[in-house]
Amino acid sequence: MKPWKKLVGLLLIVCFTMVSITLLGITQEKPYKGTVLRLASMADQYADYLKVLGEKFEEVSGAKVEVDILGYTELYAKITSDYATDTKLYDLATVDIVWSGGFAQKKWTVDLTPLILRDYVELDVPDILPVMWTQGSWEGKQVAFPMAGYANSLIYRKDLFDDPEEKVAFKAEYGYELRLPRTMDEMRDVATFFTRPDENLFGLVANGARGPAVAQDWMEYMRAFGGQIVDEEGNVVVNSPECLAALEFFVDIFDKWAPPGAIGYWWDDRETTYRIGQSIMQSSWSIARAGYEDPAISLVFGKTAMGVTPTVPGVLPRLGFGGWGIGINADIDPERQAAAWAFIKWITTPEIQKEWMLHDGAPIRLSTLLDPELNAKMPWLSTMLKLFIHGDGEYRPRLPEYSQIQSILGLCVNQAITHELTPKEALDKAAEEIKALYSK
Amino acid sequence: MLVGWTKRCFKGKRSLFLFILPITLYMVVFFLYPVIYGIFISFYDYSLGSPRTFIGLQNYVLLTHDNQSINSLFTTAIFVASAVLSQLVLGLGIALLLNYEGKTMNIIRTGILLPTVFTPLVGGLVWKALYHPDLGLITYYLQALGINIGRGLTVERSTALFSVVLVDIWQWTPLMVIIILAGLKSLPREPYEAGMVDGASSWHLFQYITLPLLRPILGVALLIRSLDAMKIFDIIWAITGGGPGTATTVTNLRIYEVGVQHLRIGYASALSNVLLVLGVITGVLFFHFLYSKKYGGM
Repeated sequence: MKPWKKLVGLLLIVCFTMVSITLLGITQEKPYKGTVLRLASMADQYADYLKVLGEKFEEVSGAKVEVDILGYTELYAKITSDYATDTKLYDLATVDIVWSGGFAQKKWTVDLTPLILRDYVELDVPDILPVMWTQGSWEGKQVAFPMAGYANSLIYRKDLFDDPEEKVAFKAEYGYELRLPRTMDEMRDVATFFTRPDENLFGLVANGARGPAVAQDWMEYMRAFGGQIVDEEGNVVVNSPECLAALEFFVDIFDKWAPPGAIGYWWDDRETTYRIGQSIMQSSWSIARAGYEDPAISLVFGKTAMGVTPTVPGVLPRLGFGGWGIGINADIDPERQAAAWAFIKWITTPEIQKEWMLHDGAPIRLSTLLDPELNAKMPWLSTMLKLFIHGDGEYRPRLPEYSQIQSILGLCVNQAITHELTPKEALDKAAEEIKALYSK
Repeated sequence: MLVGWTKRCFKGKRSLFLFILPITLYMVVFFLYPVIYGIFISFYDYSLGSPRTFIGLQNYVLLTHDNQSINSLFTTAIFVASAVLSQLVLGLGIALLLNYEGKTMNIIRTGILLPTVFTPLVGGLVWKALYHPDLGLITYYLQALGINIGRGLTVERSTALFSVVLVDIWQWTPLMVIIILAGLKSLPREPYEAGMVDGASSWHLFQYITLPLLRPILGVALLIRSLDAMKIFDIIWAITGGGPGTATTVTNLRIYEVGVQHLRIGYASALSNVLLVLGVITGVLFFHFLYSKKYGGM
């Protein structure tokens, strides 16, 4: 062969090799190019930025993530019918902690345990607070990855509690210092003291709207009174004396201390009444904490503190933990599951978690909660860390039948607060219907 | 060749068959199949995510003991009767007022249709904001007028159903107006001229000429709205969610609760079939009333 032909051939080989390496590099940089993932998300405060993250992920991986933001009942209805009918409408979905048992039992979302073990170092698992793993865990399976940790606490107006005139007036009326209530009797006193309809001020507010809103809020008070829905032996005890006392207290919230419209409140209504300064106390989730300090939507910025919800004597306070995991549809093909897992890993990295926190996200990592920059902007993070460290992921039952139980309680509790039924009738009816679930 | 084939396809009665084929397919896929499957699945104990078990008529027997489902049927009946009759009376009155020619009338007739343009769910959400017990405009002005509305129109058991009926009246009265107006426009002039010659008053003309001649139109309008109102879901879901308690829980909402929230597809299908049968009975009764000579029908 002539020398120049050899040279041209060699050059062609080199060029081909370089182009191949370059293309391989690009492909490896964006391994999921052309993939479109659909994510169904709860319409909580973190959701708007989750949309932004979905778009950013395309720059990193090539996969586009389209986020549908849905209300609580619509989210549950859409994803469960998607999973049950194999329509593969959504690749990813936010999974409420209380859905863990049901999703695991029906194998609707992928058990992520092998993936977590495989990518243990990359995920920096020890940095994720232990309580966070209750999001999506059930009987040894992890059917959702922790994504947004919520701590339950008593939110209150510290400016009013610290006001000297209020302190004097309270002590004169009740005989003890005005402070964050430590018992439910003190809660009654403080709520009554601060209920002044003429001043459009109300001492304690809760969700009253029929459905998951009222059911979940009542369950928080149920715990405070030492009640359970199902005991350790599996007996339905939702109509126990403790639960009855909790429901009677809950009825009093709407009859005596909450704004008149609270009977129809969902979570956003309850938060609004607090942020406009109408309600003084509420049992709420930490996801809403940052909103109280945003002057654009809050009239009570700088005036809020978080505390432990009181209990009746003899019942230890439990620091409620909740929030949302993110699960992968078990019906989608392995390539899409791989892309979905890549997205989960990316949004739960410390860097993205920090960025998300600055845009109404909720933390799962110790490093996020200890970050100096975040703590400077959100001084309440240290309180939140304590709540998470002692948080109880079993605060609400994560049973497979939870959604049906919540639906039953959502009606019965609403019937009690609207006086369609007495508290005893409401709980007896709930007990009968929940027992019927277990008898099938 | 293509022209010849096309001509052969559309020759004679074959062409009729081809023209109705698309709508027939549509009806089979989107109506007949779901109805037949709904009847089939109602004989099973079937929860989403679990295997189904044949149980015969057990779901229907359960329904007869289920107070919530039975109450939802009564609530639906009250909703249909109050909403549709109000729409009929209002619709007739407004149509009579608008039964004049002129540019202004054309503008008013167009404008009056605006509520029907709203998606019911969107309309419901807007009304929910207006009805808000603490921040709503309606609440504010009613309280300013000294009217006692308790904790709020949509959160008191005594006024919640009335509140959603009002929204339905707001949204669908214009449809009644248009149907009745079209009927008024089609009425012959001669009976009116004869009546006026005989000295009949406006009321007599309305009572003895307009109403009898409008009867078929009113019957059709009532039938359309009644069947539609029986299926009500969206505005109630948006405004009250079926509450407070069970005050606004209509049958469709109960079906949603049982089928989608409790995942009991078999029982929800049974309830749907009962609603379907009631709708068919309503339609049959309407046509019997409209066309029976005993009731002065056509």
